[in-house]
Amino acid sequence: MTRKALVYVVLSAGAVVTTFPFLWMLTTAFKTYAEAASPTVDLWPEVWQWQNLGETFRAAPFATYFANTFLVAAIVTSAVVVTAVTAGYAFARLEFPLRRVLFGLVLATMMVPFEVILIPNFVLIHRLDWYNTYAALTIPWCANAFSIFLMRQAFMGLPGDFFDAARVDGCGHLRFLAYVAAPLVKPMVVTVALFAFLGSYNSLIWPLIVTGTESRRVVQVGLTMFSGEAGVQFNLLMCASALVILPTVAVYFAAQRHFLESSLGAGIKG
Amino acid sequence: MIFERILGPLDSLFDRIGRRKTGDAPLAAFLLVPAVLVLGVFGIYPLFFSIYISLFDLRMGRGAFCGLENYTEALTTPNFWHSLVVTLYFALGTIPVAMALSFLVASALFRIVRGRSILRTVYFLPYVTSVVAAATIWRVLLNPHYGLVNAALGAVGFEETRWSQWLLEPKGVLYLATGGLIPESVGPSLALCCVILFEIWHSSGFMIVILLAGMTAIPRELEESARIDGANWFQVTRRVTVPLLSPTIFFLLIISAIKAFQAFNSFYALTGDGRGPVNATQNMTVYIYASFFLNGREGYGAAVATLLSVAIVALTLAQWRFVGRKVYYE
Amino acid sequence: MNRHSSVAVTVCLLVTIVACNPGGGESGFRPMEPGKVLFWDRQTTETADLLRKMIDEFNTGREGPAVEAQYAGDYSDIFRKVRASIQARAVPDMAVAYQSMTSEYVRAGACLPLDPFMADPAAGLSSEELGDFFPVVLETNRLPQFGGKMYSFPFCKSVLMMYFNKRVLAEAGIQQAPATWDEFLEQCRQIKAKTGKSAYAVSVDASTIDGMVYSRGGDVIDGNTTLFDSPPAMDVFRLLETLAKEELAYQIPPGSADDKVAFSQDRVAFVFRSSSHRTNMTLLMEGNLDRWGIARLPQADPAKPTTVLYGPNICIFDTTPEQSRVAWDFVRFFTSRENTVRWALATGYVPIRKSAADHPEMKKFWDAWEYNRTAFDCLPFARSEPTCAGWQEVRGLIEDAETAVLSQLRSADEAARELKKAADAVLAAG
Repeated sequence: MTRKALVYVVLSAGAVVTTFPFLWMLTTAFKTYAEAASPTVDLWPEVWQWQNLGETFRAAPFATYFANTFLVAAIVTSAVVVTAVTAGYAFARLEFPLRRVLFGLVLATMMVPFEVILIPNFVLIHRLDWYNTYAALTIPWCANAFSIFLMRQAFMGLPGDFFDAARVDGCGHLRFLAYVAAPLVKPMVVTVALFAFLGSYNSLIWPLIVTGTESRRVVQVGLTMFSGEAGVQFNLLMCASALVILPTVAVYFAAQRHFLESSLGAGIKG
Repeated sequence: MIFERILGPLDSLFDRIGRRKTGDAPLAAFLLVPAVLVLGVFGIYPLFFSIYISLFDLRMGRGAFCGLENYTEALTTPNFWHSLVVTLYFALGTIPVAMALSFLVASALFRIVRGRSILRTVYFLPYVTSVVAAATIWRVLLNPHYGLVNAALGAVGFEETRWSQWLLEPKGVLYLATGGLIPESVGPSLALCCVILFEIWHSSGFMIVILLAGMTAIPRELEESARIDGANWFQVTRRVTVPLLSPTIFFLLIISAIKAFQAFNSFYALTGDGRGPVNATQNMTVYIYASFFLNGREGYGAAVATLLSVAIVALTLAQWRFVGRKVYYE
Repeated sequence: MNRHSSVAVTVCLLVTIVACNPGGGESGFRPMEPGKVLFWDRQTTETADLLRKMIDEFNTGREGPAVEAQYAGDYSDIFRKVRASIQARAVPDMAVAYQSMTSEYVRAGACLPLDPFMADPAAGLSSEELGDFFPVVLETNRLPQFGGKMYSFPFCKSVLMMYFNKRVLAEAGIQQAPATWDEFLEQCRQIKAKTGKSAYAVSVDASTIDGMVYSRGGDVIDGNTTLFDSPPAMDVFRLLETLAKEELAYQIPPGSADDKVAFSQDRVAFVFRSSSHRTNMTLLMEGNLDRWGIARLPQADPAKPTTVLYGPNICIFDTTPEQSRVAWDFVRFFTSRENTVRWALATGYVPIRKSAADHPEMKKFWDAWEYNRTAFDCLPFARSEPTCAGWQEVRGLIEDAETAVLSQLRSADEAARELKKAADAVLAAG
């Protein structure tokens, strides 16, 4: 079992490298301003400044921000899962005219830099009278090429005889998709949901531009409050960043359970 | 259950109207409408809008039609070509290394049992940590004067000042490595190499998650039977795992190429302004940002963006043709 | 491409061209949120609280629409947001803006000239009151490319200063901060020789270069051509070259505060930063005021000093006459003697009125530390930077030149000449 031990050693070494910045962020969160600003890599604070937590919360109405963020992320995540599974399935398994053109156009939406699409989309939001609403925060992000593409690949990877077998049982596409195909690619569905959640959760510029009042703002906007004109309050920024990252880590921790079980094996047996 | 009551009749409905000569068109339309609506309005429309305004000498939404002038200006501007070269170095520097590393880590993470939840979460951390926070610590580590990297190199007796500037060094790595034999403008700058390293570290979390999901979805039986037949790890990986995983790998390749061509946040957060020392890290997106936004030239910025999109489309098509063919779908 | 796809693409193109019309559709602007006089700003935490408190005071007892401040991110976010809203033709009533941003808004026809408001007999400013403002803080809002009209009003003003570390100077046996550039170089050398430390941590910034040129009696622009090859500008780059070659100065990562940190840890003697960094520096010094001081820039001729004035202004957008009027009333309220002092004391900016000098609160603050007054004393001779179209791009070129000299990629003369050539090309095109 020396090979197994070696795998663990290498993985753990890698883990140290990947966690170090995160750890640094956590400890910086409880340093004094001067300590946090000085560019040394002293990990531990001289004295733990627990009051930073309170100061962080005083800087912005984070409770409102968190509530909004979760609401928006939940809507976007569920919508993206639906649009990605349905569209991904259509592109992978159905024959219809313009399929390649449509898929090309879907991919094309990934190819324009954000800076360029910002203004036309804002004008659109304004014409629809969605400024400062949840609709502006969610609807434009309810489908994305990345997720559709990922689901298409997942469905294409499924053995074709699965569908034929289902047809024999008198099962149409929709029921096949809902009862056979989607459960089989559950790891990919979870991945799509995870990245949809992260994408929505981490967006900053768009929410800042389409909202005005505190009641519609999200946590990432809260993180910008610590950057003043004469510099950044690193300790508070890191404190807030750590708080903001926690839910994403929790979501990932919960989601990754679904990568562990191979559902395809179960599908073949069942 | 309710689901069944809705899906059953829908299925038979589509069976009746489809199949005759339209193929799956009605069903496809039904499945595609939500996605196409959102993407059409908020994705395709701005895409064509940006192509359209690239034909205008536009500032703050005002300006006259100027034909292809923005394009000819871009193609004759050295900064445009420089930013294209930076973009290419970046893509070539990040994708192969990040994919190989992620594949190795994902395979290892997939096999182990004890501690896998924790380890998988840990490897995902770089990706969820905000780029700003992550870049901050990297800047501290690579700080020329008090950074840990220089201190560590000094401690083991490597006191080479040529390399000490890291993110602030506009000179090429080849120039530095050969002591000046190769001109400073050939090859990526040291600053760009630092951004590349950062991106590899940051994007691996993303790739590992997708590879893990892909690995979970492929049948284990084939790998097992190959191993029983006496194949070693490398042979199993090459002959069984990689082909079965090829839809996922192909997806990652396409997506990483698009992401690499559009990389912005890492550049911006690491160098402070995206451009880096003497423009050493100005890639296409940073250049578009600067033209479109800082210099307020919307038409010109849109033209450069269109050229970037054309480059990405060409690259994607090429990958589809030459790599996509090798993808194995069951 | 097959027949289907060409049809699809053509349809898409046609739809797009009909749907969007980048040049046309010129009808006036509407308020973004009618009934509210919106002010998009970037103040956060304590200063945001004070701003909102002042707005409450302004709104109390007034008829009509109330002013509301909304945080809109940093300046680049605000610029994005205002630009997007201009194209949607629904704008806020006020926004903080640098002159380069304002001139883009004016170009789009969204910004109101303030001269009519200022001249209004009832709500305007009397000539006596106008005379109370330091001329430069008003002049900097006049945009020469738009008929020299006032398109914004001062909001947060500060000047470029030299921060000096007394401990490091004392270690090198220096009693007094340098008054001229020759003394500055001499002191840098002395510090290196006596302590081994680098004297100056350089935060690369076009404004600092402008300030250095000004303080040598030069200028950076004349009409539409830049003056980076003029003797004062060449001297600036030569000084930087010397500093880099003799390792008297080093460059910090852009956007970082490493220079101030090094300064607070007695690793360098000099830092050039805006006066508004005083509060931040005090935090880094952990409140110790005996270790450092603030002085005006070294000068070529100390009898005729100059420095750079900077800081954002407020511009007023063309929403409705009623709302714009409320916006102007607020701007006037905010810059009253009482309020400019209050704002200055809380934020670290300089008060913009001469009469602030004998305000009791201001005096108390100046008496608390001898260097608290230095920035205010620079106001009579501070100068603003160019505001012409394309200058934003030129700033990037200046910073490239500075970096190239500091990393010894270019000689001072090469860098200055290349800068002049590239900058002139940008200005000629803009």
